[in-house]
Amino acid sequence: MAESGVVDVLGFDCLAERTLALAQVKRAADQEAGYDPRLPEYLRRLAPSLKRGLTVVGNFGAANVAAATERTVKELRDAGLGGMRVGSIQGDDVLDLVRGDDIEIPDLGKRLSELGDRVVSANAYVGAQPVIDCLEEGASWVLGGRLADVSLFVGPICWALGWPLDDPAQAAQATMIGHLLECGVQVTGGYFADPPYREVPGQAHLGFPYAEYRDDEWTIRKSGGSGGLVDERVVKLQLAYEVHDPARYLTPDVTADFTNVECRDLGDDQVAVGGARGAPRPETLKVLVGVDLGYRVVAEIGYAGTGCIARAGDAEAIIRSAIDGFGEDVTESRFDLVGVDALAGGTRPETGEPAELRLRVAAYCRTQKTAEALADEVEYLYLGPAGGGGVTRAISRPIGIFPASIARDRVDIVTELIDL
Amino acid sequence: MRLREVAYARSGDKGNISNITVLPRVGTDLAWLRANLTVARVAEHFGELVRGPVTRYDLPGIGALNFVLEEALDGGVSVSLRADPHGKSYQSLMLDLELPDR
Repeated sequence: MAESGVVDVLGFDCLAERTLALAQVKRAADQEAGYDPRLPEYLRRLAPSLKRGLTVVGNFGAANVAAATERTVKELRDAGLGGMRVGSIQGDDVLDLVRGDDIEIPDLGKRLSELGDRVVSANAYVGAQPVIDCLEEGASWVLGGRLADVSLFVGPICWALGWPLDDPAQAAQATMIGHLLECGVQVTGGYFADPPYREVPGQAHLGFPYAEYRDDEWTIRKSGGSGGLVDERVVKLQLAYEVHDPARYLTPDVTADFTNVECRDLGDDQVAVGGARGAPRPETLKVLVGVDLGYRVVAEIGYAGTGCIARAGDAEAIIRSAIDGFGEDVTESRFDLVGVDALAGGTRPETGEPAELRLRVAAYCRTQKTAEALADEVEYLYLGPAGGGGVTRAISRPIGIFPASIARDRVDIVTELIDL
Repeated sequence: MRLREVAYARSGDKGNISNITVLPRVGTDLAWLRANLTVARVAEHFGELVRGPVTRYDLPGIGALNFVLEEALDGGVSVSLRADPHGKSYQSLMLDLELPDR
């Protein structure tokens, strides 16, 4: 898409709740890490297109915008892009601020002070204004940390069309487009195929989406020569993706109302979309707080043939007994039968015994020693009920990400422009 | 009849909240779906997977229903011990929901 010249601006949404948590873990281990590990490759591969006038906006900085900015400047200088300008957006790290305010995490029903040193990060969602500021100053590569997914697109749209961000009607239209684009191939046939009702051609090479604005109308399209499809069905499903009340889709830029958005299939993988309305932006910003969850152990063992569910039941009883022995060192655990109820819970009626299954044990432990010992117990199941095979085990040190909020005027966003 | 025969669905996650959009394959089925795919029916179907309230929103512009399931993801994607911490599979579970024949 970059090389085809069909788009003026490319937006990269590199972050989700899970990926921001992973980035915080990496930064905790290495102060130079914590930005998107694909950034150097993106810079090298997009350098020729930047020379031809492409603009790139992304939340590549993740948990470490400073290190990402340094890397960006170095790579682009090495690529011979002297004269170009990089825009860096910082200030989404609000850990000191929320610690000082001792804010509450609603999901946990606790204040930060009650969690003590388990609180490791806090990032506020940043809106489109600093993106617009950087673009107006001539930046052709703009990066930040927890820039809101939609704002990565709202910024360039408002900048290119001269739409004032504080006009809710226009900010809502831009937000509708940003929302449709932010998950990439989810609007071009990804996360959609379900034969025989939903067939998607060329799933191995799904095209990336882009939006075109012409004659006061937005259309969603996809890169040329690619697989996948853009039709009313995928655009409609993506419009409501991760939306709660469609009349109040909250972003740092606007309160968008998607209730009356309409789609019109134009054929040839093009869908016209319009009708979003807007109200002023919320006075608070969403904050993601990272909390150290201890050690997570996930271990599995497989059973097959007649009686496999009963043998897995015996195995579960053995591990439950071991967990009792670890006392308070194991803070939470669960057991699932992969192939029976691990994903479906109780939603499926009894369908008889499967040909094979895996018993999955997952737990949180206070110490790595206990996590290893619990995984060992699952490994010992080779000597447990008959025919248990294929033990797998993994121990991780996850950071849980919990939503909270902060008054927006407390957050000081800083933009820096660097000439190459 | 299973919902899958008359509708498409897509699930997404934000924290510990899952939302599942249901789009009838034929637009004229929307009123029938609104009458039969009730909040109570969806809450019953998901059972213990969903510990909080279920809310249904209308999107009349695109002719879809949006179900919001609270406390539905064992704490959310970064916290959950479940094998599918995003609840990506919830859309498929939703489509297996049994409805009366039209």
